[in-house]
Amino acid sequence: MVGAFDFAAAIPMLPFASFVVAILAGYFTPRLLPKGGAVPGIIATGGSLLLSGWLMVTVSGTEHYYNQEIYTWTTGLAGETFDLSFGLLLDPLSSYMLVIVALISFLVHVFSLGYMNDEGETGLPRYYAGLGLFSFSMLAFVMASNILMAFMFFELVGLCSWLLIGFWFREPGPPSAAKKAFLVTRFGDYFFLIGVVAIFATFGTGLFAPRGDELGFPQLTAEALSGEMAPVVADFLGTIGLEPQTWFALIGLLVLGGVIGKSAQFPLHTWLPDAMEGPTPVSALIHAATMVAAGVYLVMRMYGFYAQLPRILALIALVGGFTALMAATMAMVKREIKQVLAYSTISQYGYMMLALGAGGYVAATFHLMTHAIFKALLFLGAGAVIIAMHHNENMWDMGGLKDKMPVTYWTFLSGSLALAGIFPFAGFWSKDEVLYEALIHGLNDPILLLAYAMGLIAVVFTGFYTFRMVILTFHGEARTETAEDPGSVRWNVKFPLVVLGTLAATVGVVNMAPVKELTGWDITYLHHWFESGIQTVTLGEYHHLLESAAGYHAADLAPFLPAALSLGLALTGAGLAWILYRGPDPTAHTDKLGSIKTLLYNNYYQDEYQVWLAEGVTMPLAQVADKFDQGIIDGVVNTISSLALFSGSRIRRLQTGRVTNYAAMLTLGLVVIVLVVALIGGWF
Amino acid sequence: MVVETQYYVLLSAAMFSIGVFGLLTRRNALRFLMSVELMLNAANINLVAFSAQWGNMTGQTFSLFVLALAAAEVAVGIGIILVLFRNFRDVDVTEPATMRW
Repeated sequence: MVGAFDFAAAIPMLPFASFVVAILAGYFTPRLLPKGGAVPGIIATGGSLLLSGWLMVTVSGTEHYYNQEIYTWTTGLAGETFDLSFGLLLDPLSSYMLVIVALISFLVHVFSLGYMNDEGETGLPRYYAGLGLFSFSMLAFVMASNILMAFMFFELVGLCSWLLIGFWFREPGPPSAAKKAFLVTRFGDYFFLIGVVAIFATFGTGLFAPRGDELGFPQLTAEALSGEMAPVVADFLGTIGLEPQTWFALIGLLVLGGVIGKSAQFPLHTWLPDAMEGPTPVSALIHAATMVAAGVYLVMRMYGFYAQLPRILALIALVGGFTALMAATMAMVKREIKQVLAYSTISQYGYMMLALGAGGYVAATFHLMTHAIFKALLFLGAGAVIIAMHHNENMWDMGGLKDKMPVTYWTFLSGSLALAGIFPFAGFWSKDEVLYEALIHGLNDPILLLAYAMGLIAVVFTGFYTFRMVILTFHGEARTETAEDPGSVRWNVKFPLVVLGTLAATVGVVNMAPVKELTGWDITYLHHWFESGIQTVTLGEYHHLLESAAGYHAADLAPFLPAALSLGLALTGAGLAWILYRGPDPTAHTDKLGSIKTLLYNNYYQDEYQVWLAEGVTMPLAQVADKFDQGIIDGVVNTISSLALFSGSRIRRLQTGRVTNYAAMLTLGLVVIVLVVALIGGWF
Repeated sequence: MVVETQYYVLLSAAMFSIGVFGLLTRRNALRFLMSVELMLNAANINLVAFSAQWGNMTGQTFSLFVLALAAAEVAVGIGIILVLFRNFRDVDVTEPATMRW
């Protein structure tokens, strides 16, 4: 029977085909390419979305999962080493993520018609080729069945971000931002690569989930930690002479390096705000569904591995909580609408990391989904505003756009309420669950409690910066002539906004945990969704591992008080913004913060110290290494060769070119030989 | 009358020495060639003398080969000398000293 699994490979291949079409047709016959490549892209991502939806239905309806190798590109020695291959892993998590990615990239393609085509940009085939390749890489990354394949597509995602952030490469800003994004994430990926090698060396496999009799590495880890170590793992640990717990934690840390780089967590978050130099639809795609989500998704994919490493989990939670708080404070003082959104992205991914570290797997996946929707919505809304403002992004030049662009306003408001976590929008349910999970596990663990506290404080700031942005952009009086007479947007901008705006308001229903507690209705669908799956890659197994291996225990606490607390804090922040910035002509209150504002505006001088690390520490080190290389290593070689040259130039003077001299030397030589033979032979 | 072998050897040594002397002291290429011939024939005398002493024909056969070789060598040598003369208008062997490093 032909089912969704047979077409699964087409989900990433469709955007790849659109990439090929846009590149080839754009190069050879640009006039034949409809809308500069947008139409093939929309058809391809729409097809991916339909196929993903079908796949999700198949996964949920039949309880069948798919984990197969599709192409082996390196065959190892039989019985001694491992094969390297591409494979597809289709289970509840990957099908869920596929739908999110395909949906966002479909809507971003549609929106690009308004943002790029209608604005008369040039180089459109290049743009749509980039979008197609980006979608392809992310979809393939999501489906990857082993960590090496995941790594390869992880890198491709980074490459695509470089291509798209630097789309306007003739201006000074975008190329440098693109390079920064590429290099900073690459710095993290370097550790990830070592981690991949370590995983293959330790376990002899990179599979995420068991396939037939073959176990994946999370399962081998579980066996090793429970005392039934597989021979290959025992061999390797014997060779390096480390305790399994220590070594696995090290591997976890290495892979986490890639996650922190891609998901823009402290201290590798600095690339993300700069990435705003790219076109706004690209920002939406990067922040909502591809690129940044890849890091968090990787932790979810191998959660069975991380769930057994309590110290790494605590670190993830701490990094997440700290990032959520720090990024939220920086977002409060920014002047440009996209900058605010950039920092809010960092902050929200911090929440997801916090949830993962605190053992809230469902909370993290839930927040990933709601965030993808409302952040794509906010970016596309900001894109609509930027079109209307003729590419002026400064919020202080806006104001009063509410009545002139009602569709954008109401959808943007829906996204903002979701971002701030106001009841009953999607973000409330997911953020509340993140904080609730952190709290109930944190009551038994002070580190998690600290992470929770930082996440909770960040809620106030989130409410504040979100509504500061909304009020400055849409309320009050128009502060410039452009804002008084903004440009108009067409259906291709409004359609994605309306779809996402509706979803941002309603999608929370998939997992309303407090309502279940209150009424007893069984409505936490997302929990049920992740309870099914390939054996040992399910929510139940993760909870079991968290309790037995990591020692996580949930405190018994009703969700109402924490929910009320976070809602109250969010409303406080939002209310504060309303009080400070309402009225026709708001004043710049953040200036009153004085030096704190300067500190926040300069992002705690994060960029400066990283530049200092590069120029003040790494460069002198590199110079010393260069001296060593040039002076000592090359010096020895050069001395030997010049010695040979010098002695050669002296000795060659024996060759006079006169035949008489040669004859004399021959004769002398013969005489000497005869004399030597005579002396040794004792003739005299 | 049988001549003792050592006289042959003495003759051969004398011829060889004359050849070496000529090689080391003369500058004329033709004299060079003659000196080399002298040395070769000194070796031939030895071959024939020892062959006669031991009653073994191998040495005499060998000397025939050496004669043939000497003829070939002279042919090549004369050729070189002709070229030398064409280039330098002289057959002085110290003149061409450029065939080195």
